[in-house]
Amino acid sequence: MIHRLTIMKVMGTHKSPLQLVTAVAILFSLVACATVPQPPNQELAAAEMTINSADQARAVDYASAELHEARTKLAAARAAVQQEKMILAQQLAEQSRVDAELALAKAEATKAKAINDEMLKSTDVMKQEMQRNTGDKQ
Amino acid sequence: MNTQIYRFKKLIAITLTPVIFAACSAGPIKPEGADMARNKLIQLQSDPQLASRAPVAIQEAELAVRAAEVPQEDVGLGKHLVFMADRKIDIAVFQAQSRLSEDQRKQLSEQRDNARLDSRTREADQAHMEAQIAQQQAADLQRQIAELNAKATDRGLVVTLGDLLFDTGKATLKGGTIGHLNKLSGFLNKNQDRSVIIEGHTDNVGSEESNLNLSQHRANSVMAYLINQGVHPSRIVAYGKGEDFPISDNESATGRQQNRRVEIIIANTDTKQ
Repeated sequence: MIHRLTIMKVMGTHKSPLQLVTAVAILFSLVACATVPQPPNQELAAAEMTINSADQARAVDYASAELHEARTKLAAARAAVQQEKMILAQQLAEQSRVDAELALAKAEATKAKAINDEMLKSTDVMKQEMQRNTGDKQ
Repeated sequence: MNTQIYRFKKLIAITLTPVIFAACSAGPIKPEGADMARNKLIQLQSDPQLASRAPVAIQEAELAVRAAEVPQEDVGLGKHLVFMADRKIDIAVFQAQSRLSEDQRKQLSEQRDNARLDSRTREADQAHMEAQIAQQQAADLQRQIAELNAKATDRGLVVTLGDLLFDTGKATLKGGTIGHLNKLSGFLNKNQDRSVIIEGHTDNVGSEESNLNLSQHRANSVMAYLINQGVHPSRIVAYGKGEDFPISDNESATGRQQNRRVEIIIANTDTKQ
């Protein structure tokens, strides 16, 4: 946000394209040199939240591999933060989150399918019983 | 649509930024696996059952695949974007499958209700039919009993055969009057669970001993006839009771005629009547 504002400010004051390009280049180099990489706190929090949601949906029963993967990556992301590898940390946090999302989606799909299968089974049982009953009488 | 294009542009911008930053000598290449992700997404998008069932997730997957398809200097970033795209597609597939299951549930529920209704209807029909049969059987029995001219007593149904069945002093059944006995044998053959007691009775004319013998013989004749008609011997008992159980006075001819008789007691069964 701050960067964008700065760029806008620069764009506003320097009308000539050459000046603008120079200003942007200077700004980029400054950012590259001066910025201390920040830990991807937002991504880490999002990953953790999604893992918790998956946990609540009993994803461990239906997608334990995916859930385990999400946890492993979250731990790896935190370890990367410790080593100040912030880009890696962010990527791992993002991956952890989609793993957890996948675990959740898989668990929901499996549960929905199980309900349908159960319904189908009970319908079949009823039909079979009916056929057996009529068979007896004939 | 505009926001989609904006998001798309934004994604490209985000993806391209590191490329601009990187001052590498090697040219950017399309990340490995991006094509596979694209194929997988196309498969989902062309699945008639799933494509329409998770529009948001499929759109997210589409954006992720586009991001992954952008050539990258950084191999690690390329891998990351391909992984993200692949996962987003899988998520979309599962979400669509969940939705499909939910949509199918209505139909399944209807099918189950129909099956349940069918079986209930059939059960009710069967019960109704069974009740009708039972009713019919009870009516038949009533009719048969009425035809026998039987009287309901404490001992069971009593059919009284008059002495017209026999010649005076004889125990042989008269050929012309056995229609009544045929009804009885028919009834016993239809109702196998009933047994009969046959009792012979006389008036007080003649010696007691000869009357006892005659009554026994006449009872035996009736029993023999029933056995001949197919009634199993184990279901029949015959007694000669002689003159000791009159049903009328022995003073008048009419009274004596009433006393000369064979009584057939059809025993009540526990289950019916």
